[in-house]
Amino acid sequence: MAESQKKFSDQAIISVRGIHKAFGLNNVLKGIDLNVNSGEVVALIGGNGAGKSTLMKIIMGIHQPDRGEIYVDGEKVNLTKPSVALSKGIYMIPQEPMLFPNMTVEENIIAGFREKAADLHVRLVNQMKEIGWDLDLNRKANSLSIAEQTLVEILRGLLRNSRVLIFDEPTSALTFDEVESLFKCIATLKARGIGIIYITHRLTEVFDIATHVAIMCDGVITLNGPVGDFTREMLVKGLLPPNMAEQNEKRQTAERAELDYQKLKPVFELKSFSGYGFSNINLEIYPGEILGVAGVVGAGRTELATTIFGMDKVLGGSAILDGRDITGLPTKKVLEAGINYVPEDRHLLGLFKISDIAANTTSAMLSDSSMGKMFLNGKAEYELTRKYVDDFRIKITGQDQLTGSLSGGNQQKIVIARALSTQPKLIILDEPTRGIDAAARGDVYTIIHQLKEQGVAIMLISSDIEEIIELADRAVAVYQGHINLEFNKKEINQDNLMAAAFGVTGGRKAEV
Amino acid sequence: MKNSPLESLKRGVKSWEFALLMILFLEFVIFGAKNSKFLNPNILLGSVNDIISICIISLFVTFVMITGGIDIQAGAIVGFTSIIVGVVWQDGGLNIWAACLIAVIAAALCGALSGFFVAYCNVQPMVVTLGGGFLYSGLALLVAKLSATESYKGISGFPDSFRQISQFKLFGVIPEQVIIFAVLTVIAYLLLHKTKYGRKVFLVGVNPRAAEYSGINSRLVIMSTYVLSGISAAIAGIVLTSYLDTAKSDIGATFTLQIITAVVLGGTLSTGGKGNVIGTALAALVIGILRFGLPLCFKINTQYLDIPVGLLLLIVITARSLAGNSKVVRFMNGVMPRGWGKTAAH
Amino acid sequence: MNTVKKILKIREMTSFLFLIALFAGVGMVNSSFLSPTSLLNCFNDSVVFTLLAVGIAFVILTGEIDVSIGAILGLSAAVTSTLLRNGSSWAVAFLAGVMVGVVTGVINGFGVAVLNIPSLIFTLGTMGLFRGMIYVYTGGAWVENLPAPFTMLSKAKLVGDLTAFYAVVLAFVILAHYILTKTRRGKYFIAVGDNAAGATLIGIPTVNTKFVSYVLCGVFSAVAGILYSSRIGFITPTAGNGYEMKAIAACVLGGISLTGGLGSLIGASIGAVIMSSVSRILVFLGFSSDYDNTITGILLIVIVVVDAVSQNRAAVKNRHMRLAARAQSKKGDDQK
Repeated sequence: MAESQKKFSDQAIISVRGIHKAFGLNNVLKGIDLNVNSGEVVALIGGNGAGKSTLMKIIMGIHQPDRGEIYVDGEKVNLTKPSVALSKGIYMIPQEPMLFPNMTVEENIIAGFREKAADLHVRLVNQMKEIGWDLDLNRKANSLSIAEQTLVEILRGLLRNSRVLIFDEPTSALTFDEVESLFKCIATLKARGIGIIYITHRLTEVFDIATHVAIMCDGVITLNGPVGDFTREMLVKGLLPPNMAEQNEKRQTAERAELDYQKLKPVFELKSFSGYGFSNINLEIYPGEILGVAGVVGAGRTELATTIFGMDKVLGGSAILDGRDITGLPTKKVLEAGINYVPEDRHLLGLFKISDIAANTTSAMLSDSSMGKMFLNGKAEYELTRKYVDDFRIKITGQDQLTGSLSGGNQQKIVIARALSTQPKLIILDEPTRGIDAAARGDVYTIIHQLKEQGVAIMLISSDIEEIIELADRAVAVYQGHINLEFNKKEINQDNLMAAAFGVTGGRKAEV
Repeated sequence: MKNSPLESLKRGVKSWEFALLMILFLEFVIFGAKNSKFLNPNILLGSVNDIISICIISLFVTFVMITGGIDIQAGAIVGFTSIIVGVVWQDGGLNIWAACLIAVIAAALCGALSGFFVAYCNVQPMVVTLGGGFLYSGLALLVAKLSATESYKGISGFPDSFRQISQFKLFGVIPEQVIIFAVLTVIAYLLLHKTKYGRKVFLVGVNPRAAEYSGINSRLVIMSTYVLSGISAAIAGIVLTSYLDTAKSDIGATFTLQIITAVVLGGTLSTGGKGNVIGTALAALVIGILRFGLPLCFKINTQYLDIPVGLLLLIVITARSLAGNSKVVRFMNGVMPRGWGKTAAH
Repeated sequence: MNTVKKILKIREMTSFLFLIALFAGVGMVNSSFLSPTSLLNCFNDSVVFTLLAVGIAFVILTGEIDVSIGAILGLSAAVTSTLLRNGSSWAVAFLAGVMVGVVTGVINGFGVAVLNIPSLIFTLGTMGLFRGMIYVYTGGAWVENLPAPFTMLSKAKLVGDLTAFYAVVLAFVILAHYILTKTRRGKYFIAVGDNAAGATLIGIPTVNTKFVSYVLCGVFSAVAGILYSSRIGFITPTAGNGYEMKAIAACVLGGISLTGGLGSLIGASIGAVIMSSVSRILVFLGFSSDYDNTITGILLIVIVVVDAVSQNRAAVKNRHMRLAARAQSKKGDDQK
């Protein structure tokens, strides 16, 4: 192993060895080894929270590793800040392009260079000719589409003669056609001998463009090698935490009782529901049912959820909860009517990090009279919080602990507790297990099952196909803002869902 | 909630409020030792008039800063209300208390206007209240022009009942302003720390978007805090007018630095989400006593007093910033009072 | 999209057109305002505010704020004037004044850029400190009886009624504008304010840039203090009180966004002219200067609110367009 590693890195443009990194008590990276050679595209896959972004930030010199070394062309380097990494020929195209919105495309690309602007312009034009792109250099960056912004970022990297390009989930915000043109570009770069690290969570992409693949799980690389050595099933298995497979089997045998749809009346219905990012959605959800909503990031699933929740404008159709029309009500009224939502981004939309746990769990209940009329009922708050802390096995030192200091899994449980505190008839879970560890994931699944037993309707939005397979009674796939296909319990499997989520089936051309 | 009394005590001793209390105590010891006149209740409590405005306003500017905003217009509103009281009473011929009510309503509207622009138009609070400062001080000047009295003289000769606000002394010692301040501190404390509204103020300050997702009307909450600070400025304006027996349009012009200093010194996070009324009240007293004690006991010219206040602010925020730096924290671990590390964590 | 692009392109142009419209409007009410001398005096009189506005513009463009500039102006004015009155040479006095700007700028820059303390709070603290130092330095007394050649300097005319002061300041502003928009390091200022994280990622030293912006701001404010001494002829300990607010207002009027990254120094200097002309305009319109603050406040609030609302609208519209494009690409395919 050690020998092959060494041989491997002899020709590597960049090689990281034994990288460790912790933020506070949270060990993010636990010894990472990775090599990228000239002309290779190394696909780095793994769930959110696996540590991919942290690793890349270390390579870019934004964070410093606690332990471990980085070699460029076999020479040990000390990447203390981004400018050092840039001078070594490393460039990262961040997930959200970091352009200067008020500058033109050209100003954006040449910012930070030492050369003369005129020389740079010539080089830039030549570069664009060479890879065959056409982009108006005088447009302001804030008028560019996300795909165009990504192109600008790539040009930035190329103009710096970068030899290692890092793409951080570049397709997450792109439309189908934009993805295609991006892949063409990557192929060109590969042919020019540039080493590429390609971070993604979409397995199909790996087989499309990667030469090598590395899987990261919980801060370690669990699988690594040429892409030809692997099948998709092997990658899927590699992505699952080790004890997940067992848990899956246990639970799958435990509950398989199919819902008797004949006897049930839907608790929630969408009729030709349209909004920004989706249109003409027809759905119904039954009490005690888990409806899986599959689809890639950017398909319009989150927009659908936030629009139901009163955060965005309804453009057409209606939403009916328990026979009551709740279309276009403000969030507060939707909450009171009996819907709650666990947002996809818990840091941005879910948590009050510098507030204590009790303040978090009761935040959605402040309008409720059980929390007191004008003065806050401390006892009710304490009891409510204690109930969820006990039920969900949330590990805390006390109710006055700040939520920001909890682990990701416990934070997510608190966001779920907040959503449940209002006793909703329908709960929308948007990526409920993103970025949390295996044990917490198991706990969240248990909570979902308990809710189901209590007769709560659950809308489960997830990019994790495995999750939908395991939990859902019924599933729909959203593709480009529409419901592509619907599957009953028996039809839910990886191939069906994946194909529908990527628009392969359901009246769309195939992606592969 | 289920902490033992000993634990609560331990935590209390480590808190920032306790540190402020110690500083206050220290001021008393030093000033008292230097000049025994300082400890004379009549002199000490008589000094309250110079600091009461800062104390009252900073209590409620705390609310604004907890939502992540800032209010640099409160000083202008003090002058605005003062001149309204004077003009409405003298030239409008209304009852003095009706004049006060009108002044409070006007101040609330001023706060609501600025709050509206901050909350509903997403304009930076700094700019809005900067513009508000110009606007309300300008309006105050125009109101003063309505009066028959020359504006630089100010309107005076208020009825005794009105002057009693600053003349009355409970048990012959405690001035009414102290009682007003104490009552307002209790009200602000209950409102911020014990009511559902106060909880919303905190949540909006920590994460306005998450608050929206919890069904809280973030914008309304933000706007309401500016109304509160406007009203508090009006109360300060009325008390000050009563004390000076003069209504003038510019009597609050120099308050801004002291108000913000009191709030920040009191432990409120300038980025919002954390803060404490008791801390602000203590900090306002620390500043007030400093401004009173230095000239009395050390013969320091009152004109120099911006230096200690500015220094105090700089020292506190620099120390907090250093305490937030992970390297320094590791080094200082256990040395700093706990409250510091907590507030500096973000 | 095109209209947005155009509007963004000519932000300072809008301010300039507003200035012309304002002058034309006043001229219609009172034509004597439009005499060359009167118009030129609007510019001549703005010289102190132009320097302050341009100085603070460096800081605002990087996305920070500095409310201590009024105090810096006062301190530099006090130091320079005292030295001149006591018979120092001009070179020594001016150098001392500029050094006041450097030192105060370094203090502010250190607190904000290096220690990462919120700029409003930090400079509020230094404002109290610097203001107090004026009292310490002057002992609370006025600095009077400045040498006549020095006070006459402000009245020196270059061409016609154009004062040498304004001509020199204007030349400096244009030079600074050139540096800011055309040189590599100059562009850093706007880049840092536009997107600090993005700037770090492409190797722009954000901390250094912010630090330098505070030093420049300090120096510009200090020079403003020297010109102030020459124009006014005596220095009170409260000199420059509240000027920081007017300078910020001037920047906003000149189309500089307080979130950073948007605007220009030329815009700041146009804003300064509008700002300092308000009282003169009021006089020509037959109002008393008591309306000064009211008008300034209204102007400021209207402009920032309109700016913020239109930017919010554009952002929301952009998002909706992007989302709609995603959902509709399916429809387009269906029709094929």
